[in-house]
Amino acid sequence: MPVVAIGVKRLNDLLGKEYAMDTLVDALEQLGCDVEDVALLHLYQCPACQTPNDKLEQEDPPKRCDFCGYEDEQPFEKIGSDKVIRLDLLADRPDLFDAGGLSRALKGYLGLEQGLSQFSVKDSDISVEVDPALLEKDTYRPYIVCALVTMPPLDQNSLREVMRLQENLHWGIGRDRKLASIGVYDMDTLCNRIRYSTVDPVDFKFCPLGMPGIQMTPRQILEEHPKGMAYAHLMEPYKRYPILIDANDQVLAMPPIINSEETKCKIGSTRLFIDVTGITQDATVSSLDTLVSALIELGGRVETVEMKYPDRTIRTPDLASHSIDIGFEDAKQWLGLDFTPEEFMSYIRKMRLDVAPKGDMYEVHYPAFRTDIRHEVDIFEDLAIGYGFSRIPMKLVPNLTIGKAREEEILSQTVREIMTGLGFTEVMSLNLQSLERHFYKFRMGPGAEHVVVENPKTQEQKIARTHMMTGLLETFQKNRRKAVPQHIFELGNVIHIDAAAETGTHEYRHLGFGIIGPESGYAQGRAVLDALIRELDLKGEYKPADHPAFYPGRCAEVSNDSGLWARIGEIHPEVLNNFNLAHPIVLCELRLIQVI
Amino acid sequence: MEHTINEAQWQVLKKLLDAKGALSALQIVTDTGLDHPVVMGTLLYGQEQGWLTIVESSREELIPTEKAQSLLQQGLPERRILPLLQEKGRTAIREIAQLSQEKGIPFNEVIKWGSQRSWIQKDKGELEITPKGKGAVNHPDEDERALELAMKSGSVFLDELSEHAIDAERVKLLLSTRTEIAKIKSRKIRRVKLTESGETILKKNIKVTKERNLLTSDDITSGEWKNIRLRPYDVTLAAEQIFPAKIHPMQKIIQETRKAFLEMGFTEIVSPQVESAFWDFDALFQPQDHPARDMQDTFYLERPKSAQLPDEDIVERVKQTHENGWETGSTGWGYKWSHARARQVVLRTHTTATSIRAMAANPNPPQKVFCVGKVYRNEALSYKHLPEFFQVDGIIIDKDANLATLLGTLKEFYNKMGFKQVRFKPAFYPYTEPSADVIGYLESKDKWIELGGSGVFRPEVTLPFGCKVPVLAWGLGQERLAMIRFDINDIRELYWTDLDKIKEVSLCR
Repeated sequence: MPVVAIGVKRLNDLLGKEYAMDTLVDALEQLGCDVEDVALLHLYQCPACQTPNDKLEQEDPPKRCDFCGYEDEQPFEKIGSDKVIRLDLLADRPDLFDAGGLSRALKGYLGLEQGLSQFSVKDSDISVEVDPALLEKDTYRPYIVCALVTMPPLDQNSLREVMRLQENLHWGIGRDRKLASIGVYDMDTLCNRIRYSTVDPVDFKFCPLGMPGIQMTPRQILEEHPKGMAYAHLMEPYKRYPILIDANDQVLAMPPIINSEETKCKIGSTRLFIDVTGITQDATVSSLDTLVSALIELGGRVETVEMKYPDRTIRTPDLASHSIDIGFEDAKQWLGLDFTPEEFMSYIRKMRLDVAPKGDMYEVHYPAFRTDIRHEVDIFEDLAIGYGFSRIPMKLVPNLTIGKAREEEILSQTVREIMTGLGFTEVMSLNLQSLERHFYKFRMGPGAEHVVVENPKTQEQKIARTHMMTGLLETFQKNRRKAVPQHIFELGNVIHIDAAAETGTHEYRHLGFGIIGPESGYAQGRAVLDALIRELDLKGEYKPADHPAFYPGRCAEVSNDSGLWARIGEIHPEVLNNFNLAHPIVLCELRLIQVI
Repeated sequence: MEHTINEAQWQVLKKLLDAKGALSALQIVTDTGLDHPVVMGTLLYGQEQGWLTIVESSREELIPTEKAQSLLQQGLPERRILPLLQEKGRTAIREIAQLSQEKGIPFNEVIKWGSQRSWIQKDKGELEITPKGKGAVNHPDEDERALELAMKSGSVFLDELSEHAIDAERVKLLLSTRTEIAKIKSRKIRRVKLTESGETILKKNIKVTKERNLLTSDDITSGEWKNIRLRPYDVTLAAEQIFPAKIHPMQKIIQETRKAFLEMGFTEIVSPQVESAFWDFDALFQPQDHPARDMQDTFYLERPKSAQLPDEDIVERVKQTHENGWETGSTGWGYKWSHARARQVVLRTHTTATSIRAMAANPNPPQKVFCVGKVYRNEALSYKHLPEFFQVDGIIIDKDANLATLLGTLKEFYNKMGFKQVRFKPAFYPYTEPSADVIGYLESKDKWIELGGSGVFRPEVTLPFGCKVPVLAWGLGQERLAMIRFDINDIRELYWTDLDKIKEVSLCR
C-alpha cells in the first residue's frame, strides 16, 4: 500500500494554526487514517522536470525521477528537508490522499470549520472535442473530463504535492491508470480548442516528458521511455493510441502513458489544465472531482471546461454536492449511541457534510468526491467518527446464546491429549507445497486428486496437501542434528478433489505421527497406533498394504466398516535419502473425520 | 543416655573400638570400604561428642610418575653420559653435545642435573667428569634409591627413608623440581583415638539405626521402615532438566482463542478452504473488478476450476445488489455482474467467507458464531508474510448488534487473550460500515499494536441473505498473537518447528 508523507508545517499552514505534532497525529488517527510514523524527509530536485523527489533520511539520494522517469548518473541535488507524518493510503478514501484533503477533514475534526467546503465554479471558454474513434475498439478510452484550476504560482513543494496526488489517485481510483489516468498541464503553453483523438503508433512523433528535445513515436515511447515501458501493457489491445492535442497541434499527452515535455507544469505555473481519461465514467469523474477539490483546499479557483462528445456536450467538473436521506433513530440503533438531534447534526457537520431535517428523516449533503457513500450506513460511519471512537461505550449484546464447539475440533483435542500423553510433540506445517515435496520425494506419482493453484508466486505454493507426510519428514530434516529418537505428530486438514462437491473438494482432518531413531520400526509405531485406536474406542483390522513411500512388506492399512482409515509403515530408504535423513522412520497417517 | 547413630557411623567407630589404639583415618577408609566423606563426617561427629580425638600431622609423600619406571631403567640422562665422559676425559662441550645427541640423550638434562649432582664440571667450553661422578658410575644416588623404593608400593613417605639409610633432604632437593619423574606431595595424616568416655559409651549406650537413600518394597510392607532413617537431602540443589511432550505454540494460541469465544457463548463453525469467489468476494459486496480480487493477491485454482453457486434467487439478489443496490437502499456498484466470475475457485482469502456462509444458512437472530481457520494470500514467504495463516472470524446477528456492542465484544475477547487495555480507531473496510481497528496495549514492549479489523456488515451484505438485523463481524490474525506471546520476530519460525524451541517455550507463557 502506498505511503504518503504530509509535511507538518504545510498542514499547519493550511489549518492556519500551530498544532503540535501529537495533536495532529492523534486527530488523524481518530479520523481513521493509518499513521505509519513521523519522519524527516529530504527533497531532491529532478534536473529534467524540476519536481522535487522525496526520500527518507536513511534512504540513498535518488538518481531516477519518480514523476517523469528521468535517470541520471549522479544523485539529484538536495534542495531541502521536511518533517512529515507518513500515512498508509486508505484505498476507499482518495479524498484523504493529500495535505489539501486532510486539512479539510482536520478543520472539521478540530472544530475550525463545519459543514461542506464552499466551492465557487466559473465557466471557462476552453473546450475539448472528443473524436468518435475513442469509442471504438481500436482505441477504447471513451471518457474524458477536464477542468481549469488557477493556483498561486507553483513552488517546489506545491508542484510535488500535485504530482504526488496525481500518482496516488492513479493507484487509488485509476487502478494504476487502467480505469482512469490524470494529466496536469501549464495552460499558458496551450492554445484553446483542444482535441482528444487517436494517432498511429509509428506515423506520429512528439517530445515526451523527461526527454527535452527528443521527438519519439508512440511505439518508441513504449519501447524506450521508462514510463512508456512501465505502462506499455495498457496499450496492447489497441491499434491506434489516444492523443490530447491543442489547436496548434501541440501534443499535451498520450493518455494514459505520458505527457509532453513542452506543456508540463513547472515552478511558477499558475493556470493548470487538467484532464482525466479512462474507460469508466465513475473512475474518471471521481478522479477529477477529488483532484480539483484538493486543489481548492490548496488555494485553487476552478473553472469548467466544455466537453464536446459526438452525441452530447457537458461541462466539467460538476462539483455540486449530492444528497442522501438518513434516519435519526436508524443511526442511534446502528451505532448503539445516544445523542440528541442537535448533537447528531453537529457530529455530521464536523465531518464536513451538511445536514438538515427533512420530514421524519434528515437530508445529508456530501461532496461529489465522496464516492464511497452509497448507503445511509456510510453516513453513520462518519457520524461515529464525528462522535469520537474513544468515547464510544463498550457493551455486550444482552441476548444469551450457548456456545458449542465443532466435532472435529473436540476430537482433535482428544487426539492431542492422547498423543502428548504418549510422548509425542506437536508440529505444524504449511498446507501449500510443491509437487516435488508432496509427491516425487515420496516416490509417488501426482495423480489427479489434489488441488492445483493457477497463479502461485513460486512453485512452493503449487498444490494443497493431500497427505501429512511432508510436514513430518521436513520437521525431522530440520531437526536432524538433534538427539534421537524424536516423536512428533501433526493434526491438520488435507484436501481432496471431488467434482461433485459444492466447491469441488472435500476436506478431512488427518493425524500424522512419526518416530525417527536407530530403533524406530513398525512394531514401535504399531504400538502407538494401537493405543490411539483403543483410546478412541475404535476397532480396526490390519491388512498388508503397498505404498511407494514405504518399504515393501512393512506397510499396513487399518480400516473398519464405520470409516476408520489409517496407513502405517517404515519409510522407504530412498525417501529417507531424499530428505537427507540418517535414521529409520516409522510413520502413520490416520483419517479422523470428514470436515467438509 | 542412649546415643543413636547409623550403620555406617557404627562401622567406623567399631573399628576404633576393636583397634584398641590409634588408627589413621585413611586406614579406616581402606578397612571399612566406606566413602571418605562418610568416614570423616563420622569422625568429626565423634570428636564433637567427645568420644575421640583427632591428631593431625603432615607428611611428605614421594610419588613417582608413570614415566619414572622407564626413565630409571634406561638411566637418567646425567647417568647415561658418565661412561662416555669417563672414557673421553676432558672434552669440548660441542663434541659431547654432538655425541649425546647421537645416542639420544637429552643434553640439556645432562648439564642441568649432572651439575646439580656435582658429577660433571664445565670449564672454558670443555666438560669433564668429577671424582664424585666417577664414584657414582656404579652407585645409585639417594633419589634413585628412593624412587626404586617408592615404585614398589606406589609411593613412599620421606620420613620413612631414614629406615633405608636414604637422606631424605637430598631426595627432596633433587626431585622437588623434577616433576616429570616424581611429585612430592604434602599429606595430612589424621590419627584417631577413642577417649575413655568414648570407649565406655560406645560399649554400652549406643543404638544403631539403619539409614538408606531409598526404601525397598519390603521395607515398606514389612514395617521395617520404622527402623530406617532416610538420609536428608540438600533440597536446594537443582535436578536434571526435563521437558514434557507439548502442543505447538501456535496451537496454544488457537486453543485459547477457541476457548475464549466458546466461553462467550459462540458456536464454532467451519467452511471449505477451497472456496468460490461468490462466497469469498461477491457475497461481501466486493465488486468483481475490485483490486483485492486481483490475481496479484489471491490464489486462483486451476483444479477445481469452477464451483457451484447457491440457490438462484440468492444469486439473483446478490447480482442485483452489486448492479443497482436491489432493495438494500444502496446505489450498488453500477456494473454488469458476471456468474462466471462468481464461480471462480480460490483458496479463501479470509474466514469472513465462513461467517457469511453461516449467516446465509441461519439469518435469524440471535446468532453468535466464530471459526479459526487457514486463509491464503498470494505472497512469497518472508519474515513478515506467509502465504497461508490462521484467522479467527466471528459474527453476531442480533437486534442489539451495533458499534458499541462490537467494541464491547472485542474488548472482552482481547482481555481474555491477555490484553488488559484495548482501544479502537476508525478504519475503512469495503464490507463494513462503520469499521474499527482493534489496538491493544503490549505491556512487555510498552506500546500499542494493531490486532485486527472489525465492523458492522453493510446492508448490501446482509439483506440479500434475508438477514434483517445488524451483523457484527471481525477477522483477526492469529500468528501475530503467537509472535507477540512467544517473542518471535520472524513469522516463518512458527512453522519451521525447531523441536528444541518447542520444548523450551513454556506452555503458560
